[in-house]
Amino acid sequence: MPQQVPPEIDTSVPQSARVYDYWLGGKDNFPADRAMGEAIAAQVPTIRNQVRAQRTFLARTVRYLVREAGIRQFLDVGTGIPTAGNVHEVAQEFAPESRVLYVDNDPIVLAHSRALIPSTPQGRVAFILADLREPEAILGDPTLAETLDLTQPVGLVLIGIMHHLRDDNDPRRIVATLVDALASGSYLVLSQTTPDFNPEAMRGLAAVSEQGGIPNVPRTFAETEPFFSGLELVEPGLVPIAAWRPDPGIQQDPRSVYVYGGAARKP
Amino acid sequence: MTEEQSRGVPTIRRLLLGAQLRRLRTEAGISREDAGEVIRASPWKIHRLENGQVSYKERDIIDLLRLYGVTDPGEIDTFIALAHEANVPGWWNAYSDLLPHWFRAYVDLEAVAAQIRTYQAQLVPGLLQTEAYMRALMRGTLRDRRPEEIERRVMVRLTRQRLFTQDDGPQLWAVMDEAALRRPVGGKKVLRAQIERLIDATTLPRVSLQVLPFTAGAHAAMVGAFSILRFADPDLPDVVYLEHATSATYLDKPEDVEEYAHIMSSVGVHGTPPEQTAEILGELLHDLG
Repeated sequence: MPQQVPPEIDTSVPQSARVYDYWLGGKDNFPADRAMGEAIAAQVPTIRNQVRAQRTFLARTVRYLVREAGIRQFLDVGTGIPTAGNVHEVAQEFAPESRVLYVDNDPIVLAHSRALIPSTPQGRVAFILADLREPEAILGDPTLAETLDLTQPVGLVLIGIMHHLRDDNDPRRIVATLVDALASGSYLVLSQTTPDFNPEAMRGLAAVSEQGGIPNVPRTFAETEPFFSGLELVEPGLVPIAAWRPDPGIQQDPRSVYVYGGAARKP
Repeated sequence: MTEEQSRGVPTIRRLLLGAQLRRLRTEAGISREDAGEVIRASPWKIHRLENGQVSYKERDIIDLLRLYGVTDPGEIDTFIALAHEANVPGWWNAYSDLLPHWFRAYVDLEAVAAQIRTYQAQLVPGLLQTEAYMRALMRGTLRDRRPEEIERRVMVRLTRQRLFTQDDGPQLWAVMDEAALRRPVGGKKVLRAQIERLIDATTLPRVSLQVLPFTAGAHAAMVGAFSILRFADPDLPDVVYLEHATSATYLDKPEDVEEYAHIMSSVGVHGTPPEQTAEILGELLHDLG
């Protein structure tokens, strides 16, 4: 039984995926994660709504890609702890043959995802432990080639992760590297937290997060738009995520969720 | 906690008592409607009682237990004492000697769990054992080896396994030590059939099996086997179950549960990926010759 050296799990420091789990009411978080979650909530009291809004944005965009754009394979980076409404659940509900590769850099996410995310028999769900800051490693992982056919369109999902990249990580290059590897007709869906609607709260959030060792960079509209460069944004474009094709009957002030998002097609 | 705050927030204690009442009711073949009539309540109220969503009145418990055929005053008193007991974590440990024979804490908690995570060092998880493996195990481990005792235990375990044939049964994530898969409980033939059963189980949608190989060396779970039960209700804490020779321990204090959650994640990461399990079990079969 050959084994790679597995990563060590450290629950003594907060970890982004587990802080999200705490906000979403999950049970896979530890004291350090909860302390961070609460410290951020003190800066942004609506944080749970913000996080839930990102989950529903993910569901709406994936549904759009499956139903209207015909996408059947997904690369989701920054998966998080498995919860209801993951990419494969949304996609396979409509198209059971959908294939999803999840990527996360947290070994706890690895342990839970590979054990607890069942695929439909027709589709495929796989998981790799990798970091968005090293897109070449993601693209070069043999599991990617086993799971996705890069000659066919792919939905690249970068939701709730871009703010963890610092400017010196060169996030534009990272997104471009991934998009370049995808076939024409592929889609990028991306979200990015922003200071535009509540600068003070978002400054506070970023400071608390950075203190706890989790990078956090909110970006303005002008800083976010270039992530879609060379791609064709679908209606309604890059907007506050609550305004992106909201479900019927959902009334929410778009500026109450401090996140931009959009979906764009690779020509 | 005030009465207002506690309303609608199920505790493990209420959940467990509710689960006991549900089992007693269904075993007696009584509908929720009929049970409700006896305590002047709707079937919906019975449903909520059995799911630990409302607290019990002593009078109601006495009436329901009588309806379900529990007549021993001592048993009824114990049950009521449990229902009254303050909501202290691990409350039921103190009662382990007094519990009536029908009070099966673990089995009933397991039945209402949404997710069961377990690490097994020495043996195949009970939920996946073949009958022959179970019997061999019991003959080898129990002091009380009277046929009727073994029969009783086999029946309980087979009933537990029905969880996985129900539509809404729990999800099982089991990490098995390589030692558990190599020890020939019941001899080669029994172990062979047991491993074949495990290979079949890898195809079940709600079952995820991993092997922790000898090559992993020292690991976080060397303290021994454990199970972590998770319940669908977001307000219910996970419960860790540890079995001993003469008793069992239930842990629901956050710091205890988190230690085991950490260990589970660790063996999950150090174990071989679930999608390789069938192949690894196939190799073990081959080694058995």
